[in-house]
This record gives sequence, structure tokens and C-alpha cells, in this order.
Amino acid sequence: MFFKRSQPDAAQPGAHKAAKSEVEVLATSDAPIMPLPIPDLRRTVDPAGLGFTTTTELEPISGLIGQDRALRAIEFGANMRSNDFNVFVLGPPASGKRTAVKQYLERKAHGEAPPADWVYVNNFDNPNRPKAIRLPSGRARPLAKAMIGAIDELRATIPATFEGEDYGARRRSIEEQFRSGQEGAFEELNKRAAEQNIAIVRTPTGFVMAPTHEGKIVKPEVFNTLPEAMRKEVETRIESLQKELEQILERVPKSDKLRRQHVSELNTEVATIVVRDALADVEAAFAGEAEVKSYIEAAGSDLVRNVGLFLVQSGEESEIVKQPADTARDPRFRRYLVNVMVGNGEAADEGAAIYEELNPTYGNVVGRVEHIAQMGALVTDFLLIKPGALHLANGGYLLVDARKLLLSPFAWEALKRALKAREIRIEQPSEMSGLVSTQSLDPEPIPLNVKVVLFGDRELYYLLSMNDPDFAGLFKVQADFDDSIDRSTDNDRAYARVIASIVRDHNLKPANASAVARLIEEGARLADDREKLSIQIGHLADIVREADYWASDAGSTEITREAVVRAVNEHTQRSDRMRDRAQETISREIVLVDIEGAKVGQINGLSVLQLGNFAFGRPSRITARVRMGSGRVTDIEREAKLGGPLHSKGVMILWGYLAGTFAHNVPLAMAATLVFEQSYGGVDGDSASSAELYALLSALSEVPIKQSFAVTGSVNQNGEVQAIGGVNEKIEGFFDVCRARGLTGEQGVLIPKSNVQHLMLREDVVEAVREGKFAVYSIGHISQGIEILTGVKAGDRGPDGEFPAGTINRLVEDKLRTFADRARAFGSRSSGTQSTAGDRTS
Amino acid sequence: MIAHVAEAGEGRGRVVLHLTQSAPNPVAVEAAVRVARAFQSEIESLFVEDSTLLDIAAFPFACEISLCGRHRRDLSPEIVARQMRAAAAALTRRLSALAQRAEIPLHVTVVRNEPVTALAEACAANGPWNVVALGEPISGLDAGRLAQVFAGVPGTTGLIVVGPRARRSEGRIVAVVEDIGEFDAVLRTARRLHDGDEDTQLTLLLVSDSEDEARLMDEQARLALGDDDSVEIVRARVETTEPGIAAEVIRKLSAGFIVGRFGGLLLPSGGNLRPLAAVLECPLFLMR
Repeated sequence: MFFKRSQPDAAQPGAHKAAKSEVEVLATSDAPIMPLPIPDLRRTVDPAGLGFTTTTELEPISGLIGQDRALRAIEFGANMRSNDFNVFVLGPPASGKRTAVKQYLERKAHGEAPPADWVYVNNFDNPNRPKAIRLPSGRARPLAKAMIGAIDELRATIPATFEGEDYGARRRSIEEQFRSGQEGAFEELNKRAAEQNIAIVRTPTGFVMAPTHEGKIVKPEVFNTLPEAMRKEVETRIESLQKELEQILERVPKSDKLRRQHVSELNTEVATIVVRDALADVEAAFAGEAEVKSYIEAAGSDLVRNVGLFLVQSGEESEIVKQPADTARDPRFRRYLVNVMVGNGEAADEGAAIYEELNPTYGNVVGRVEHIAQMGALVTDFLLIKPGALHLANGGYLLVDARKLLLSPFAWEALKRALKAREIRIEQPSEMSGLVSTQSLDPEPIPLNVKVVLFGDRELYYLLSMNDPDFAGLFKVQADFDDSIDRSTDNDRAYARVIASIVRDHNLKPANASAVARLIEEGARLADDREKLSIQIGHLADIVREADYWASDAGSTEITREAVVRAVNEHTQRSDRMRDRAQETISREIVLVDIEGAKVGQINGLSVLQLGNFAFGRPSRITARVRMGSGRVTDIEREAKLGGPLHSKGVMILWGYLAGTFAHNVPLAMAATLVFEQSYGGVDGDSASSAELYALLSALSEVPIKQSFAVTGSVNQNGEVQAIGGVNEKIEGFFDVCRARGLTGEQGVLIPKSNVQHLMLREDVVEAVREGKFAVYSIGHISQGIEILTGVKAGDRGPDGEFPAGTINRLVEDKLRTFADRARAFGSRSSGTQSTAGDRTS
Repeated sequence: MIAHVAEAGEGRGRVVLHLTQSAPNPVAVEAAVRVARAFQSEIESLFVEDSTLLDIAAFPFACEISLCGRHRRDLSPEIVARQMRAAAAALTRRLSALAQRAEIPLHVTVVRNEPVTALAEACAANGPWNVVALGEPISGLDAGRLAQVFAGVPGTTGLIVVGPRARRSEGRIVAVVEDIGEFDAVLRTARRLHDGDEDTQLTLLLVSDSEDEARLMDEQARLALGDDDSVEIVRARVETTEPGIAAEVIRKLSAGFIVGRFGGLLLPSGGNLRPLAAVLECPLFLMR
């Protein structure tokens, strides 16, 4: 007996016809529902069909398999030389997409022009704005070295020249010329004063004059006894001499200035010769570079102007070796050094740059200006400008993990800004935020020509697309790597070649065909789909490497199927402490789960717990209670705020099914409560909605449900059972509980029919089914499930519009009628105003 | 005197640091400290309030013209005396701190007198072993000043002077010998200053006016030094008393300290100091 649609309204003949055709479909499977056959439970691979003995016979595949769409996108993005056609690579982690992209780009970059070198040099006109100079590839380091060489030479030649006799003689000549001029005038005045019996006496702050007699200064008291006329005459003479003295002294600064000017001209003349000689080699080596030429000219002028730097002892001269400290370490000469931001090797065939930034902080992406502490203050200069990933990848490709980039403050915005402006501008984050305004460097921006490849998951891609208006404009190429590939003979062989490449890359033992077959099966299991193969190459590589270990442990020279099985099992065992604990609580009846007998309104639901990368299934008791009421199903999980929205939706849908099936002629004057017993965490998802519906039907019909079954699957308003996730883990979870208590042959799991294609059950489960100790049923409609669970037909409405007597549906409808009658009677006894009909749920 | 102390093997002496209200040259003070430390002597800071200046300030027309020649101000004895007191107090504080760091005993004396007379009295009052260090640098205008000091201050055996370009008191120590008879005293004094410092070169500069004389002195010096190769011997011929020649010799030495006799070829007692003052970058220790 199969479920039939509820009797259509007489006014809707078309609807009847549609329903009738569906009933016919259901009616084709009138035979008893049988457990799934063994081949449906796990899709195995025949090692003999793979066509090789061990992986040594296979040519490894280094790229990806079955990802043509993504690879075409990468190829397009890489070839599209435009700043806004950057690539976002979407895909699951550990899928090998990064390796594949890098390998592709490396091949491509090899044939491309090597990127230019970039250096920062001091801006002698404005030291706060260092100059950026572009050089042919491989020329930056030679320039830096050449400048150090030139300074080294000047450190020797400038002191030698300025301490030489030639310079000394000319300098002394100038000094003497001016000194003798001043002193001569002063001595002349002194002499004339002495002739007039006046002494010029030096005081700490100037000069005073006094009358003398026979070379000695006259005492004031003596002077005062002189006749008035004589005193006046002395005073007049002194006044006259004082004026002359003032004139002489006033000339001193002007004379000094002129002397300094002459000395400066001499210094410039001498230094220019020495500096020009020292820089001549650098200039010759970079003759074709206009910017370098301009820089060398500026550096030369500055060297001449600051020749004194080379004449001052730095105090860093080694006392032992009597050799000055390395020029690069001498702070006096920092301004003449060259900061190599990008210095490629001199080999011309290196190709374009490919740089992967593993820690994409703001500074690591766009570069930074570092500071050093000096005397309690932070100082910086152009040599403390550090390159970022954009510098290192300029002219090539930059690979960045999108999530890390977004988690680094300012980094994402900085990258976008650089891509938009097509230049790398180094700014301090504090400057960008405008919070701190300290004098720092403002290096000249460097033109940017880079292809950025971001790696991330789909969620991130769609979030960025939705929330960042710049994203779509800058990352126009989406390279979408699939989580899995289709299962086919070709792909099975390709998968084997991937395994061969893992073996080769990690220098492992060769895997034999049986091991490869088992690994392909594991690939399908990882994909949660018997028709797919997971491309989580990282995870697969972990299993292969671990299998290699166990093969060694077993003394095998190759990776065998047993080694692979052990690797999988050992991996599971290391992770399944929580699973064991969960099963223990069920075995010890701390968590109540019945796997024998039959109970009204009680069923075993199945849930999946995900702990890290390990998932396991666990049965949970679901109970339903019904009573007369006002048409309300109380989802206790939701009331207790433990149920998620999807779970609540599932409960509402099942209420819709009840109303649609039974409330044609009678109101749903019932109230029901549904609960996941002993559930203390949250419950979400609708995979238990079919189980809840079975429990409700049992409660209403008062027909007990066999507790040897567990159920999973969501249900729609028409009673069709729909696919759910984690079907393998759920079946295995119930199997483990049953095995722990003893398999009876009555136990099994009801799964949605549409989930059969996902079955890749553990081999021990398959073995138990083969031995008739366990069963898996695929269910298409709720009526099929209730029959298996209760052993009672669900029942279809007959021509009279009634369900056959003794069927579940009839019993349910009768109960609902009873509730309605009682409600009506109760209502008439009381106010008579209470409505009992309704389809509300909460 | 120091030479006498050194010669006599005595451990103590006295350095009289002659100060006026002019700020002393730092290298001159360093030199005084260095000599005091080398000879384990004490320093007497003699601050002379120049009575002549006070007399001049008492003239009704007394006024001071500033060093740049652009300002004049009237002087009075009170103003000058106040300036002197302030200068003396400031110098005393600086010297006390310096002496404390160098762990040298310091006596401070402030007198009002004519400078040379004050110096003579101070030296006479405290025994014969005095070295006078002039705080104020010598200049071209001080041609007869050194001779005056040697003549007017019998209680001193040596004079430490610096030039206006003084900038170091560390480095090579040069003992200038013009007569082989004074070889031992000069070298001994230089050795005392050198104090066995391996990083400092000790140089013996033999100055003579003829080749024969130079060769003779060289031979005798080498004989006296024996196998002591730590002393470098340099010969210089100064055939004329032209002061510029001797000054050039001194310039080329790039010395940190020079020890020599006053009144020889290097520094004639009546000579012009200007060339020397122009090149002298280190203290010059002139022995009587």
C-alpha cells in the first residue's frame, strides 16, 4: 500500500489528474521495500582495471586534473596585461590550486622579460623625498657597490689631498694674507697709540685705552692732578684712537667672511678634482642611464659641498687593525649609499618575477619606512625604506592569500590603492589614518605593473563581490576550482597519476594498484559522493605519506592497500576521542537511545558532529507527544533557543504536510511537542524533519515505531523525503552504536533515496550488510518510511475519501477527528467561541 | 722645574694655572691637568683680578669698545670688579668639577694684582717646583709676554702655553732637543708625560742649524737610547731664526704635546710668536 495524495477538491479536476499520475509513479513500487544492495553502499575500484602494477609505471601529473575551467581562467588572467584583470582563485583548501597556479605561472614567467631593478637614493635637494631610480635588470646591486667603492676611495684620497703640502700651502697663504692684514692694522694702531702715550688694553669683552707714562699706565689719581688742558688733550687723543679702533674691529667680520669665501673656493676647487676622479668610474659604468647620471652629478656636488665629512674622524676606526669601519656602516656616508629595493640577478633568462607573500601585512605588501632609535628619538632615512611584495613582484605576479590579506589592517586597501593608481606609494599607516603627523619620508612612488593572484574560498569571494565595490573592478578574473571531479575511468587513472606525483614529490615508496584503488575510494569518500573524487590533494597526500609510514612499519617495499587502510583508520583513531565518548554515553545508557523494541512517538534521529576535519554521526532520541489543542506544534528546541532556523523551518514544513494530508474535512485540533531528547547543544538543519514527522504520526496513530531503525532525511510538504548531508557518517554512527550493543540483523537506517548516490560507507559497515546484520533503506516518500518503521501500511484514501481501516493514516485521521470533536464539545461547554481549527505552528 | 722634579726622581710638584677674567682655553686646562697627573702634583688655580684694569676703569673717560667694534660702554671700577668676581666664581666651579673627576688636589686663589706680579708672588710663596700653565692662549701680540713671565717669575721652572688654534692634548709626544746636554732632562720629562702608553708615539726631535751638528746629536741620542726602539728620532734643520721655519717644523709633527726649551732655535726668547700661534694645535711645555 502506497501513499496517495489527499483527495483533491471536486472543483479542481485538473489537480486530481496531476495527483493521479504521481500516485501511479508511487504505485509502481508496490513490492516491499528492500534494503539497498551491497554495490549501492560503496563504489569500489577494481585494481586490475587500473592497468598498472605500481605507481612507478605512471607518469606523474604535477598540475590539476579536471579543472580546465579554472586553468583557462588563470591563463586568460595571466595573459591579459591590464591592471584590473587580476585573478581570484576560488577553491577548497589543500586542493593543490596554489601549487598548480604557481607551476603554470612559473612556466609562463620563464619566457617573459625580466623585471627592472629599482633603487632608492638620497634626494639631495629634499632628503624627505627619496628618489626612485629604475635600472635594467641586474644593475641595481652593481650601482650600490660602485657607490660604496667611490666613497671608499674618497675616504682615502680626500684626507690625503687636504693634508697634502699643496693644499696646505695655498690655505696658509690665504690665512696669512688676511691675518697679516688685520693684525698689521691693529699693530699699526697700537704703535701710534704708544707714540701718543696711550695703551690699548684687552679686556675679556673688548678693549679699553688709558694714558701711559714711560710705558706704564698712569694711575687715575695722578692723571687727575694734571692740568685741565692736558687731560682734555689726552681724552681727545683717546677718542680719536677709539674711533680708529672701532673701524679696524668692524672690518674684522667682513674680512673674515672674505677669508672664508676664499678658503671655501679653494676647498671646492680641490674637492671637485678628487670627487670627479672617484665618481668617474661609476658614471662610465652607467653611462646609458640618464637618471643615474643625474643622481651622480647631484651626489658629486653634495660630496664637494660636504668634503669636511671625510676629514673628521668617525671614532669607529678599529684600534687593532687600524682600518676605518666599513663605509656602509659609517653614518657619515649613508646619504651616498644606494638602497636596492629590487635587485635581480644578472642572468637574463630568469624571467618575470613570481612572488608569494605568506604574511601580507601592510608593510609586507607595499613596503615600509623603518626607524632606528637614536638618543631616544626615532629617526629614519632613505636606506630604511624596505621593499614590499609589490616591489618584489613588480613586472610579474604576486600571489597572496585573500583571507590573510583581509585580516591584516590596512593591507587590502593599500593593495587596491596601488593597483588602481598603478604605482607603489609607501605611506605609514598612521599617516593614512591622519592620527599622527610626524615628519617621515615620502619616497617617490614606483610605477606598478603586476598581476595579483588572490587565493580564497568561495564564501570570501562572494562576500567581497557583495560588499566591496572595488573588488569586482580590480579582480575581474574568477578562477573557480571545483571541490571535486567527476568519477570516470579516465579520471580514476588521472587520480592515480596524481598519487604517483605525490609519491615522487615526497620520495615515498611506490604504491601498488590495490593501494591506489583504495586511495581512489577514499577520494570518493572525501568528496561525500560516490560519483565524485575529492581534489583535496593536501589531504590525499597526508594519507599517502602516512600509508608510506605504515608500509615501512610492516616491512613492505611498497604502499599496499592494507597500509592505506591502516593510515585511514589510524588517522580516524587519533581524532575520534569525542566519538568514542559519545558512544560510551549511549552504551552506558547515560544518553538514552533504544535500538530494540518499539515505542509510540519515539524515534532515532541522526546528527553529524564536525570536530576540526573529523566528522562523525550520532543517534539522538526524538520524541513527540500529542494532545487536544488549538493546532500548534511546539518545537521545544526552538522554544529553548537551541534550534536553528533551518530546524524550525523543517518543523513548520512537517506541520504543513499534516495539515495538507489530514485537515481537509476536519480541523487540526491538536497540539504537539517535539524534542531532541538529551540535546544540550544547538540543533540546526532540517535532516531530522522526516524523523520528527514519523514520531508525530506514531504519536497520533499510537502505533509504535521499531527502535532498531534510525532515520535521516528532510521532508517537504508533499511528504517527499529529500537529500541531506553527511549520510555516510550518520549511517556509520548508528552502526557503531548497534555494533557496540550487538548487531541483531533487525537494525538499519532509513536514508533519502536521493542520497544513495553519495554512499561510500566504511568497509566494516558494508561487510555487516553483506552478512545480513545491518541494512540501509532508501526512502522516497514518508509513507514508505512509516511502513518500514511500524510494519503497518500507511494507507491511501479510497474513492470514498477515507483511508482504509487499520492503516496509519486512518488512525491518525481518526485521532484528529476525536480531538476535533472533543474540542468542539469543550468549546460549546465553555464560551463556545474558541476556535480549534488552524494551521499555525510555532 | 718639572724637569728638575723628573730629574731628581721626586714625585710631587705644583701646577699653577694662571687665569684671568678671560675664559681659559679648554686645551690649556686639559694640559694642566695632564701634567699634574703625570707628576702627581696639585693644581693651584690662580685667578688674577687685573689691578691695571681696575685702574683704567677709574678714569672718567673710561669706556670699553666691544670686540666687534660696534658697541661702547662706560666702565667703572665697580662694574669691572663685579665682572671679575663673577668670572672667578664660574671658573672655580668648573675647575673644581674637573679636578674632582681627575682626582687631583685643587687650591683656588684669587688675588688682585698686576698679572705677572701676582704670578711671581704665588710661585715664590709656595716653593721652587712650579709649572705655570697660562689659561689664555698666546697670540701674535704677545711677543714679549713669555720672556716676561720667565724673567719676572723666578719661581717657575716651566711654562705651558697653547695657541688660539689649540684642539688636542692627546697624541704623539714630541721632545724637542736643540743641545745634547739637555737631552736627558727633556726626554725624561716627555717620558713622564708619555707614561708608557703604548698607543702614543714618543718622538725625539733633534733640532740643529747644521748637518754636522744634527749628525752628532743623532749619534749621541741613539747611544743614549741604547736598544730602546720605542722612541722615534726625527731630525730637523733650522738654519735661521726666522720664526716661520720653526713653526712649520712644529706643524708637520701633528703632535699632541710638545716639550722643549724656551729660548732656543724653536722658540727664541725675543722672537715673533705669531707663526707659532698660527700652527700650534697642542700644548707646548717650555722648560726654563
